[in-house]
Amino acid sequence: MLATKDWLGQYFDHSTDAIFIFKDDALLVQNQMAKELEQELKVDPMYLLQVADTSVKQKYSQTNGCFNCIIQNKMTNLSVPLTLADDSTHPLHYFMVYSILDKTAHLFSITLKSRGTINRMDQLAQQRKLTRYVNRAHELERKRISADLHDSIAQGIYSAIIGIRRLRNADLSTEQLTALSNVIENQLDDTLKEVKGMALDIRPSVLDNFGLLPALKVLANRLEENSGITIEVAGKADTSVLSEDVQSVLYRIAQEAINNALKHANASEITVLLVNHQHFIILEIIDDGDGFDVPSHQSFNGRSLGLLNMSERVKALNGTFNIKSKLHDGTTVTAKFPVADLGRKQHV
Amino acid sequence: MTLSESSSVNHYNELVNQVYRNELFELVAVALQSQTAARQIKWRYAAGNQNEKFRKIVLRSGMGIAGLVIRTGKPFWCDRLNVYQLRDAMYTPIAKCESLTGAAAVPIMSPATRLVDGVLLAGFRNGQPVSNKTVQALSQYLLP
Repeated sequence: MLATKDWLGQYFDHSTDAIFIFKDDALLVQNQMAKELEQELKVDPMYLLQVADTSVKQKYSQTNGCFNCIIQNKMTNLSVPLTLADDSTHPLHYFMVYSILDKTAHLFSITLKSRGTINRMDQLAQQRKLTRYVNRAHELERKRISADLHDSIAQGIYSAIIGIRRLRNADLSTEQLTALSNVIENQLDDTLKEVKGMALDIRPSVLDNFGLLPALKVLANRLEENSGITIEVAGKADTSVLSEDVQSVLYRIAQEAINNALKHANASEITVLLVNHQHFIILEIIDDGDGFDVPSHQSFNGRSLGLLNMSERVKALNGTFNIKSKLHDGTTVTAKFPVADLGRKQHV
Repeated sequence: MTLSESSSVNHYNELVNQVYRNELFELVAVALQSQTAARQIKWRYAAGNQNEKFRKIVLRSGMGIAGLVIRTGKPFWCDRLNVYQLRDAMYTPIAKCESLTGAAAVPIMSPATRLVDGVLLAGFRNGQPVSNKTVQALSQYLLP
């Protein structure tokens, strides 16, 4: 029993939250963190008591119209956001939790939980979700490539083989032979188109050989043929000095944003703009579609992390990523990267 | 444009209008293979179209109902076209552009080469179902 008391004492003292326990209006006990807060930030426990007191009074006030509200009267604790050291350059944000320990003895506690830690935990959780999403996306991509190879490429070649076997049949007239060889040619032609299309989807060689702008034009052309939606690519940018990573990310963002616009926006025109300035390069994808409410799509919606993933990829390379959209008013996706060498090259 | 091409223009244009007039379809369209080296298959004629987006579409063999008709030379139909998204195997671009819910497509065979030369597609926007009968009705118009 004594040992348990020791552990509890240790837990109380080493907690990362600052805990104050009051009886009536006097401070009874406080843990190590609370003492440090009191010394370093000159936080007066009586001030906290007053904040808690006013919040309690506000909540239980008769004029609030909820004095007899059963649920609220049963609540034994209450949390209030609180900022300490707000005149310094680094204000500290806390949640102050007021909880009643013993109603008859007028014993209650005030706990300050750092919002920084809570935010950090949220961030970590978000990151884990993202990692899971990226892994799943990898697998899905492989599954899709495998299915494409099997269903379209393999089938096409198989049909051509069957056709060639039929060519060996000696009974065919010249006319039949011509017709059959035409069929085989068509099948091989389709297969060739599929292979080229797949190669382009996986990793466009244009991007490596001719640069970002031509690659975006090829992409736009292909998606335009596949959807009927006009996709314009305009811009003036020397992308040869950009790192391969930045080029890839810009290309993927354009791809994802155009795909999103085609899938969800009901757009009739999409414009892709790539422009470099002296110290930065900027990519914009503008559509005239339905638009959406951005905040409600920023966190994980259970299905896809497209926006979050785009944003993380840009941030990882020191860029900024922004989505502007309003319901019924189109969407603009912007990615901007700082470039140190661009200006220098232009001056030379 | 050669004389034979010009007559085929009139022929298919007339065909599309005829099907649109005689049946209840909300969209009727014909896609044909171009004779140039790229041999792209594009929608050339349409009746009941909402916009001109369909002209930009290049049909992909094996993709969507029109693509399947090209790949196999057999008719196809589908009642749930509006659920498919870009990248789905059954995604049919013209269905999305023209907000079709269901459509049927039959092959246009070239008499000379006996190859699939194009597609005749007809569909609805109001959820009206299509079936084998739709295909049969459409095929009647392609009989010589």
